[in-house]
Amino acid sequence: MSEIAAKAPTRPRRRLIASRLVPYLLLQALIVIATILGLRLVPPDDPDDYAVSEFTLRENGAAQPVTLPHYTSSRYSLGDPPLYNGTFNFRSGDAATAWSVFLPRFSNGVEVAVNGVVVMDSRRDDTANRPDRNTPAIALIPSSLLRDGPNRLTVRLFVWGPLKGFLDSVYVGPDASLRPAYETRALLFVTLPVVFSAWQSLLAVILAIMWLMRRREPVYGVLAAGMLVGAVQAFVPAPVPPAPYPRLAAILLASAPIESALVVVFAVLFFGWRWPRYGLLLFAPGLIILAVGLFAGQPVPRITFLFLGVPTVGLCLMLLAFIVTKAVIKRQDAASFTIGCAVSIVLTCWFHDMLSVFEIVPDERIFVTRLSYSAMLVAIGAGLTWRFARALNQVDSFAGQLVARVREAEERLKASFAREEERARAAALANERTRLMRDLHDGLGGQLVSIVALSERGHEGATITDAARAALKDLRLVIDSMDDMGGDLMLALGSWRERATAQLRPHDIALDWRVATPQGLPLHPELRPWHVIQVVRILDEAVTNAVKHAQAGNVAVTIETLDGGQGPYGVISVTDDGRGFAPSGNGASQTARGLRNMRSRAACCGAVLDLSSDGSGTRVRLQLPQVFPDSDAAGG
Amino acid sequence: MSEQGETGEAITILLVEDDAPTCWRLQDALVKAGYEVRSAGTLAEARSALAEAAPRVLLTDLRLPDGHGVELIREIRQRFPDTEIMVISALGDEESVISAITVGATGYLLKDAFPTDIATTVRDLVAGHSPISASIARFIVRRTQGAAQSSAEPSPGPVLNTAKLTPREIDILWGIAKGFSYAEIASHLGLSRQTVPGHIKNIYRKLEVHTRSEAVFEAVQQGLIKL
Repeated sequence: MSEIAAKAPTRPRRRLIASRLVPYLLLQALIVIATILGLRLVPPDDPDDYAVSEFTLRENGAAQPVTLPHYTSSRYSLGDPPLYNGTFNFRSGDAATAWSVFLPRFSNGVEVAVNGVVVMDSRRDDTANRPDRNTPAIALIPSSLLRDGPNRLTVRLFVWGPLKGFLDSVYVGPDASLRPAYETRALLFVTLPVVFSAWQSLLAVILAIMWLMRRREPVYGVLAAGMLVGAVQAFVPAPVPPAPYPRLAAILLASAPIESALVVVFAVLFFGWRWPRYGLLLFAPGLIILAVGLFAGQPVPRITFLFLGVPTVGLCLMLLAFIVTKAVIKRQDAASFTIGCAVSIVLTCWFHDMLSVFEIVPDERIFVTRLSYSAMLVAIGAGLTWRFARALNQVDSFAGQLVARVREAEERLKASFAREEERARAAALANERTRLMRDLHDGLGGQLVSIVALSERGHEGATITDAARAALKDLRLVIDSMDDMGGDLMLALGSWRERATAQLRPHDIALDWRVATPQGLPLHPELRPWHVIQVVRILDEAVTNAVKHAQAGNVAVTIETLDGGQGPYGVISVTDDGRGFAPSGNGASQTARGLRNMRSRAACCGAVLDLSSDGSGTRVRLQLPQVFPDSDAAGG
Repeated sequence: MSEQGETGEAITILLVEDDAPTCWRLQDALVKAGYEVRSAGTLAEARSALAEAAPRVLLTDLRLPDGHGVELIREIRQRFPDTEIMVISALGDEESVISAITVGATGYLLKDAFPTDIATTVRDLVAGHSPISASIARFIVRRTQGAAQSSAEPSPGPVLNTAKLTPREIDILWGIAKGFSYAEIASHLGLSRQTVPGHIKNIYRKLEVHTRSEAVFEAVQQGLIKL
């Protein structure tokens, strides 16, 4: 019991693996059965009516009757090839139609003669020399060669080991009857591999580009390399002994094991496994074959290939099947299932070919591994491209999400910015309001209180009128200053001139207005209403002093812009021709208080007040700052 | 002594002001100057006074117990185009004055103006000189600037179409806004001093919006210009 309890945690895991493994294996079994059934259909039906099967084989000096299809022993010399002699009947009634001789399958090369005249030699056809392709051959028999009645058909079978020679049934008959069977085989075993190889080389280019652009993903590069090797193998002509470049055969032979090892590497990377330390050993057989092919003459490389290369391919396929099965159990996704099924098909085909090579199951010697293998690679390549496109889509949607998020953030930022701006505006407004209240309190409020006090004490006439006029003037000043001057103090001074003129007229005092420089005063973009109020109050005070205390007959206002080398600044001077006063006089007098007021106002907006007075008049010189201060803290 | 028009008759003034002391004050100043003054405290009184005869000059407050002075100005402008119209304002603020100008008033009179200034202003008005204050000129030129900068936000305050003003008229307004006298402006701009009042009269006419639909049209046009 305790043992069972200890194993309990691993049990659900095992159950999970089993529940995934069993259906997968069943599926693969079904696929294997389907493949076997499918392979039965692969050799197309041949026109059996025209079959020539009874031959006399002359080999090694001995003659014996044989029935095609027939295997001959493996040999390494092209001299004295096995010679098949047979006869077929030609009826002169058939003379109207052309006759052909059709050989559906032979290995490795044939030379066909009719009545002693050679009509075909397959060794000049590159694809026919590939033992892994089941290339058929057909040749028209010149009608002049045909005799009424029995004709002699001779087939020389060239064999280059280590595979045994093979000759399938030979068909002789009207070309119209044989040609369709030939075309079917040519399509299946010649055209289709070319199509697959072309496809493979295209995918190799695409995957190579992907890998070049994304070095972080070697999976594309590995598959591209595998496909490239396959494509090269498919298009390089097979050397026929005596080949012009026998070394080339080494590359051809080494290609299959290297290619299959590359596919294993691909699978390992694709399913996200760590590459095992001794994994590179998988490439050893391919490299050995390459080395043998480069340094040893035929037929040693071919023998090496048969006993090293072919098993390597099988081993790689089995490794592939193992890797994929593990991936299926772990991931349960469409990609691993698809690759798993493809591997099962290829593996079945490989076993089929092995059985054929070693004559365990005699058949028509149709090799299908290469074909199914190419198809599998194409499927994998297509799958990868699909995955790449899907990744692009994901990037797109990610980019879309990013754009949406950025927009969202931007909007939030905008909103918060607007809020901040609103807050700043509100603060500025409150600030302005505070100043306005202070101004109204200092000026208008005091004056109105003074009016109340005067009228309560029963004062009549001029005093109250003066106080009320002063209050009105102040109110107009405040209202006027609130207007947007656009930084031009001249605009404020313009309406002040009107008010001052009106104020001076009853006293018969002329206001002499002089603007020394054409533009008047420099522009001050930072000018705020409270600056205007302070400046105009100083001027008001100067004019009021001239009227009330100096008994002046003339008041002159001079406005000019000076430049002391550090930028322009404005100067406003108010000069009267009154009797003047002593600036350093008694600090308690009204004049002294007014003076103090003017100085503090000037200081609080950064201006310099200069006052001089003597018996011939008073001069108030207000030198404006180059930049008005933002707050009146500078004043004090 | 009495002020007389070209026909030799006394110049009639209709004074519309609801505050009695202010009314008395203005009336005293005008009567003393020799004008024939009728006064009204409400719009209704003013209309009944108009039924008798057209005044030469209308002086009206804007806030009246039974309506707004702007209505009265518009009525008189249509019925008696020769009548000179002025607004009586306590502060001379552009809000009230500009709205009166757009319906046909030519300037304003401060309620606390000295009696001599009141008489002088009316005399100038009858003589064809429409006075314009620095603050009103400033308001108008700031508007022309605003239109030129094609700011998206409409400027605060009453609607004012400055599109018809010529650059010279705008220059004159700038001069007035900056406190220059007519003589100074004339010499700066190379004009004869006597032509400046005429230019100012033209400015008033151009700022006047003749009908309600025209006002709407010009507002739209102004909006289009701003686009």
